[in-house]
Amino acid sequence: MSKRKVILTILLTLLFLTIASYGESVYLSGYARNYTGMLLNAGNEFSIVQNTFDLKLEHSRNRVAFKANPYFYQYFDKDLKIGLREAYLDIFFNRMDFRLGRQQIIWGKADGVFITDIISPKNLSEFLLPDFDEIRLGVTALKADYYLGDNAFELVWIPIFTPTQTPEENSIWFRTPAFPIMPVFDYSQKGVTASLENSELFAKFSAMTSLIDFEIMGGYVWDDDPTMHARKGVDPNTMQPSITVIPQHHRLSIGGGSFSTTIGAFVLRGEGAYYGGKYFQTADVTTTDGITEKDYLHYLAGLDFNIGDTRISLQFIQQAILDYDDQIANDEFENTATILVSRTFLRETLKMELFSYIGLTNEDALIRPKLTYDFTDGFQLLLGANIFTGTDGRFGQYDDNDMIYFKVKYSF
Amino acid sequence: MIRKIQVVILATLIALPLLSFAGDKISGQQIIENVYNRPTGNDQQADLTMSLINSRGDERVRTIRQFTKDFGEMEKKIMFFKSPADVRNTSFMNWSYEDENKDDDQWIYLPALKKIKRISSDSKSDYFMGSDFTYDDLGDRHPSQDTHKLIGEEMIGGESCYVVKSIPKDENYMYSKTVTWIIRNKWIGLKKDFYDEDEDLLKTLTVKKFEKISGYWIILSTEMHNVPKNHRTLIQLSNVTLDSGISDTQFTERMMRRGL
Repeated sequence: MSKRKVILTILLTLLFLTIASYGESVYLSGYARNYTGMLLNAGNEFSIVQNTFDLKLEHSRNRVAFKANPYFYQYFDKDLKIGLREAYLDIFFNRMDFRLGRQQIIWGKADGVFITDIISPKNLSEFLLPDFDEIRLGVTALKADYYLGDNAFELVWIPIFTPTQTPEENSIWFRTPAFPIMPVFDYSQKGVTASLENSELFAKFSAMTSLIDFEIMGGYVWDDDPTMHARKGVDPNTMQPSITVIPQHHRLSIGGGSFSTTIGAFVLRGEGAYYGGKYFQTADVTTTDGITEKDYLHYLAGLDFNIGDTRISLQFIQQAILDYDDQIANDEFENTATILVSRTFLRETLKMELFSYIGLTNEDALIRPKLTYDFTDGFQLLLGANIFTGTDGRFGQYDDNDMIYFKVKYSF
Repeated sequence: MIRKIQVVILATLIALPLLSFAGDKISGQQIIENVYNRPTGNDQQADLTMSLINSRGDERVRTIRQFTKDFGEMEKKIMFFKSPADVRNTSFMNWSYEDENKDDDQWIYLPALKKIKRISSDSKSDYFMGSDFTYDDLGDRHPSQDTHKLIGEEMIGGESCYVVKSIPKDENYMYSKTVTWIIRNKWIGLKKDFYDEDEDLLKTLTVKKFEKISGYWIILSTEMHNVPKNHRTLIQLSNVTLDSGISDTQFTERMMRRGL
């Protein structure tokens, strides 16, 4: 760790403690956690040894409030990582609320699947394995909500685009995009200039009723994942064919919605969205940069129910490319299922859980069994595993990354 | 002659309680309906402390702020969890209906997910937060769901109580029967025994404190004792405010997310 970061850490810690000590009504909460993961390969290498300190500072006065959520991640093999998950101001009126600042905004009814839930981009530096509040990247936004009874209209303006955070090149989660020959990467067009015309806008209407809860949303956004423009050429030194890959973000127009309702002992959920303007890689030589623009649909149906004391949640997800042609690298339909089975014992102090993503198209899966024990209130021990099956697809590509992990967490 | 007097006295002793019952002209059904309909104000807010005490005396404490409002055909309740730290800012909302055929609507807000999830209210036999209370124990069970019979009168803690046996009409219900001691004229269930499917005593509920607040009888402390497991849950209410005119907007998605 650099000297500058050590000093910064000490100063920040002192600042937070001072605020907590002197600010009579500043509420301080958070957690300290150790997270140790070990690969189940021949070498039994440690995939992660992470010590986390996560703080939440909250204060409210009459119609205003603020929250700040700084975090510290310490690794044995990487620099100390300090950041702000959230830092925002709230203003409350009779029928309107405004929230300004860095914030995580979550929409939709799906669990672990991102369909209309596209405002806060994802931190995929450890794939989908961290807790969901850690996968989310905060975005600097102005959020306005207008309430009418049990209905709400929400408008979100994001002036500065934040892309998906991808794994570093030396990470076990990094995968090089597949091309016929080793490409050269040109990152010169990857950024999106921070300007008014490059801002993102989202709108949502939601209702909570006895019969059904639903959301209708729309957005004019940037694709969080860059399109890989593959420009073919000839290497002037070797006179051999070459490919220059130019990652570039493109605009998307999105419209969709979600619902959840109760049918007897079942909770039925659904979510879907139409994405306009997505670019896909294609083998069609007549296209520019090996990409083609197609709209696509992404939708889900889910069912939650209990069998005895065991809670079960099932989801089926389909992604369908419209006006499909066979040269597109992606399948026309990509089907995924998720299954969650959980049960608590010993008065909810011991919890057994199994969550799995199952790739139906590529016959791959991520299986995540987990055992959580509350040793005492606010002190939790967790033993889990991440098992990847298959050889291809979103999960199969990490078949070598099976691991077990252990977490100890103290919440205050 | 002495023998005749003895017979008359004996007959009178036997007949007196029966005459007393006849004089009251109140049935088990009416008593339970009076408990169900006991006025508790149009709205209520309170701090709730729930202590879970195991057989070794180890204690785990949960604190909650709750708001309840009667909307006529429905009652809305919202609970904000204050501690322990790992559940802080979780909120739970329940809409229950006068119509006994209509299930409750329930939602939970999970701050880590920043998401409100609709949940099924079907599992009323589930235990609430690891306590000895099921969701059904905490709610108002409609009198029409059981057959009630007045089986006697007893004095408990200086209070004259009716004793009512209630047998559920649903044979698959989690309890085979309950016996409740109800204070005459106050219509407070002072004690309640719950029996399992083998008709063995499973749990005993005891009201430890009640007070008249703003003209209403309010239960402030109650304990549920799981007899076979010797585990207890004590629920205490404090800072109780009644009829303060809680806004309808308190019971919305907006407030679930915003918290206290």
